Amino acid sequence: MGLSSTTTSSNESTQLCVFDLKRGQHEGQELDKILFFYPADCPFSTQLSVIGLSEGLITFTRIFSPEDACEVIEAEKHSHVFYQAEPDIWMVMIIEKNKETEAIWRIDALKKVLMEVHSLFVMFHGSVRMLLDKDPGGGLVRIHLYSFIMDYLTDFFVGKKLQFPSFRDSLKERGTIQMLTVGREAAIGVQSLVRVVESSCAGNAQCNSLVLFQDLLVSTTLPPDDTVNLFTYAVLRLTPRALSSATSTWSYLRRGTTASQVATDSIFENAGSAIHASRDTSPSRQGQRHHVPRPLRPEKWSKGKDGFLSTDIWGTQVDNLGSVTPTVWLQETKERVYVCVYQQKHLTIILLVPVNSIVSSEQGISIVKQQFLEHASLKILKVEEKLTRGWGGENAYHVAGYRYLLFDSDRNISRASPPGKVTTLTKDSLLALNKLREEVELEKSRAKHDDLRCEKDLEVCIRARNNAWVIARVTRGKELYMVLEKGDETLLYASDAVEKFSNRYCDGAFSLD
Amino acid sequence: MESESNLSIDQNPNPNSLEVSEEDHLKFLTINAKEEEVVVNSEKRSEEFLNGSMNSNCDQRVPTSENEEEQLHLENEEQIEVVIGSVNSVDNEEELIVEKELQRDSTLGSVGTDVFEEVGESFSPSEFANGCSSGDYSQIEEPNIEEETSMSEVVRESISSDVVRRENSEIEFDAQSNPSSSGYVGERGSNSSSASTVSDEIEEVEEDGSFDRGVVTQQNDNSSNGVYDSASWVPGKRHDEEDDASISWRKRKKHFFVLSHSGKPIYSRYGDEHKLAGFSATLQAIISFVENGDDRVKFVRAGKHQVVFLVKGPIYLVCISCTEEPHEALTGQLELLYGQLLLILTKSVNRCFEKNSKFDMTPLLGGTDVVFSSLIHSFSWNPAAFLHAYTCLPLAYPTRQAAGAILQDVADSGVLFAILMCKHKVVSLVGAQKASLHPDDMLLLANFVLSSESFRTSESFSPICLPRYNPMAFLYAYIHYLDVDTYLILLTTSSDAFFHLKDCRLRIEMVLLKSNVLSEVQKSILEGGLHVEDLPIDPSPRTGYLAPHLGHDRSRTESPSRSGEVNPGIGGPAGLWHFIYRSINLDQYVSSEFSSPINSSRQQKRLYRAYQKLYASMHDRGIGPNKTQFRRDEDYVLLCWITQDFELYAAFDPLADKALAIKTCNRVCQWVRDVENEIFLLGASPFSW
Repeated sequence: MGLSSTTTSSNESTQLCVFDLKRGQHEGQELDKILFFYPADCPFSTQLSVIGLSEGLITFTRIFSPEDACEVIEAEKHSHVFYQAEPDIWMVMIIEKNKETEAIWRIDALKKVLMEVHSLFVMFHGSVRMLLDKDPGGGLVRIHLYSFIMDYLTDFFVGKKLQFPSFRDSLKERGTIQMLTVGREAAIGVQSLVRVVESSCAGNAQCNSLVLFQDLLVSTTLPPDDTVNLFTYAVLRLTPRALSSATSTWSYLRRGTTASQVATDSIFENAGSAIHASRDTSPSRQGQRHHVPRPLRPEKWSKGKDGFLSTDIWGTQVDNLGSVTPTVWLQETKERVYVCVYQQKHLTIILLVPVNSIVSSEQGISIVKQQFLEHASLKILKVEEKLTRGWGGENAYHVAGYRYLLFDSDRNISRASPPGKVTTLTKDSLLALNKLREEVELEKSRAKHDDLRCEKDLEVCIRARNNAWVIARVTRGKELYMVLEKGDETLLYASDAVEKFSNRYCDGAFSLD
Repeated sequence: MESESNLSIDQNPNPNSLEVSEEDHLKFLTINAKEEEVVVNSEKRSEEFLNGSMNSNCDQRVPTSENEEEQLHLENEEQIEVVIGSVNSVDNEEELIVEKELQRDSTLGSVGTDVFEEVGESFSPSEFANGCSSGDYSQIEEPNIEEETSMSEVVRESISSDVVRRENSEIEFDAQSNPSSSGYVGERGSNSSSASTVSDEIEEVEEDGSFDRGVVTQQNDNSSNGVYDSASWVPGKRHDEEDDASISWRKRKKHFFVLSHSGKPIYSRYGDEHKLAGFSATLQAIISFVENGDDRVKFVRAGKHQVVFLVKGPIYLVCISCTEEPHEALTGQLELLYGQLLLILTKSVNRCFEKNSKFDMTPLLGGTDVVFSSLIHSFSWNPAAFLHAYTCLPLAYPTRQAAGAILQDVADSGVLFAILMCKHKVVSLVGAQKASLHPDDMLLLANFVLSSESFRTSESFSPICLPRYNPMAFLYAYIHYLDVDTYLILLTTSSDAFFHLKDCRLRIEMVLLKSNVLSEVQKSILEGGLHVEDLPIDPSPRTGYLAPHLGHDRSRTESPSRSGEVNPGIGGPAGLWHFIYRSINLDQYVSSEFSSPINSSRQQKRLYRAYQKLYASMHDRGIGPNKTQFRRDEDYVLLCWITQDFELYAAFDPLADKALAIKTCNRVCQWVRDVENEIFLLGASPFSW
């Protein structure tokens, strides 16, 4: 416990909690509401006061806005970001504002963090409510949430401090997929590979697959939401980059340092038993009874000789012959699937096999893997080669003169200037963009609430104080954000620039004619 | 200069007397029995009036020289500088205006007008000395009798409370008398039901603008006289019967609350404050909960709703709105609301809370509902509320010069500020050396004067505080309407300057009449300001240029260019709809008249909100003002252009061509510069230095 307190005390500026409004209705039982609290060593009185304020404001705002309760509290020193993850299950993040440390952000970007961790949680463990139903005492869900969120947060540690997306990440969109653009020939190759891969499943079972090249998606046969979740997980823990211990800053999703991972690991080891000790229901005992897989635990995946990635996160088989194959819940089909991950150099293939299609679990899976290798190995080699040849490198999607984010909200796809190029922008430009994005997000959410209005169509060009053009275009579910720093001063220059970009890279989606 | 006023601040308010006054107010708010209570009297009178007894009114209006003498006598004897506005029913307003000269002085002493006598008496220092509680309303700056207090100070103390009481009495009366004819309903207290039904249907439009009901459209035919014509808006509290349990109350689009740090309600836009005590306590709990965590809550967002908080010492202000206004704008509105409170009470009201944290402030503000509701209404039509600038009535340069000259003359004789206004627009304005008047103060002052019906009917001398000038002290405002729309405000630091100011006013009035300023003002109201249709295609060189309808030739009643030729590219489907130009150095703005298609009040309000949003987007505190912004959505193309000298906000058809719009903006700027002599008050005002 001592270790954990010293580690977390430096992070007092950030708090994150999950609570259930249905629980702890009676006086004296308020603690029962709390399902997760970070930092874990925070005194109960503080935890209760955070949850009290949150609950108070949820109730209060419902007086006027019964449909959409509290989303954010902006105070002078803190932002409180609310997300109702499931009915009556709320996640609240409180972060400290600090101009000096550049703690300036968009609420929406923070909310996306909460959404991401929740949807990943559901993918691995099922919904919070389901776990609560399984164990009404709450021990089960607490131990799951604790390990999962703590592991998730390791990626946000910079040194000993949690650092969430700030204005510097304005040209990024969490919860979206980045796609690899492939030529026609390569696309056909990928298509036939997918067909072969998915046929490895025994019998008539419907398999699904995702193909990634580097940290970019090449192909998916999953519906959008499931794709986003698995893609996110792959980029976090499975792709070659994620596997290599030398953490690259290339991917924005990965931020963690080994030091902090160790730190949180030890928090977990210590606090896992300690935090719940004083509560009525003792989840620590339950934690021992239930094996709690920690899918986000860093550096737990490794590539085997057969090319498949393996991990002992889900435990080892009884006879110690190998590790248990992980399973996830698919949102769309509400079914549980085995996850088999195969990697060939830069190519990562995720094969999802429905659990109920396989009779004897591990044995069945090894048959699938065998068939996979037999049928697809050659094709995989070819496709990998082809893609590598066509791959333009990290700056493949750089467009000279532009710093941009292109986002398709219908398909959850985004493309952006490479992070290395975005860092050349001045702080003022990024702040102006951050502010503009915030405005657009408000407009969008209002349009959403206002069902009378059709989809938002908006064009904003701002010449900021530092003479940079900051541009937002929203049309038919597509969004384009842009910063032009060395531009001409006329507005016509700016709109010409957008027009050219739109015609060339967006199929004219943002062109006016 | 302010030493005298500051004296009063240094005095400790007497907590005992505060208690007494609270009770008093309770008394007169609930019990209509005591004859000696002014308000009760007025209520009684209004009852009489409702019963068809017009006597008192008629009597009151009878102008006699006797009355005037009597009044003067009274004032001299008792050192009363206050002439309370009369409570004439509004059907007689026109008549009254004709007779204003005489009527103004006739408010005291006539048969059946005991109201005013009693007002005078209740302010008499002797009452203070005798500790008579019945007439003691001086909660703000209660003089400590043990202290050496000069009579004049005591009187000033009483004046400070005068605002409160005067408002109360008259509003009661107005509400009773004839709300529909007056267009002004101030309802409060026990008898609001009749008025609220009248205002009910109007309210809907006012608050959400989601319909275009003919009755309420704010299109006075005379639409030229104000940017956003608020003529048909009805001020005053509505839906008094509601509270936080009512569905209708919860669905109101924009709530404003003022409460004390102990959670006591002070003001609510909708619903009865007393019924909202529980709700008020909730708001207080939220604020203090966050404060306990060593933080300060600024706003909360939930769906389309925003809850914006502003803490000003012991006074908390909260706005709950789903109007899509940026939170910066709402915070600004709360600041103004607080400013209005200070204008009535000064910041020294904080003392009352220091003495007694559970102090109930509502009685202090009794009857000022109209002032607040009219201010809140202005948040949806008056650009001054977010631009922090004031606007002038367009006038030929020599005309404004003439007005300025006489005001300057007066200012040199010890008047702090001399302001000649027409509705919300400044005709001329002069300040004593080094004194500067903040545009926000002007907004609040004009709102205070315009929303209080009493000022229209008689000359008044009222303590007011200009929060940006000195939030701690009262100034004294001599207010007099020169005609229906035009009024003069003379501000001084001296509480006994009434007669001097009255003389000043007489002089000013004479000069204004002689130099035809007042008739020019009326003409300008009719003609209106800049019309986008009149935007010159090719602005002529600056010198010698005269706008088609803003030239010296004021004899024309109709601008030919407006009715005749249509300017290509202006108006119509691809053109300019409206603009606001704000001169940064002058602290002034000019807004074009509304023309097609921005006709209905709903469209005007929507445009107003769009400008407000644009303003907030351009003036972000963190990143400083942006330079240019082009924004196109379903409703408009908006262009904003900020330079060191000016800010231009322009609205175009949503299909407008970008290049053309930019060109048009350049032409607007040139046009404004060409006619700046007529649309702005130049040079004369020291506050712009």
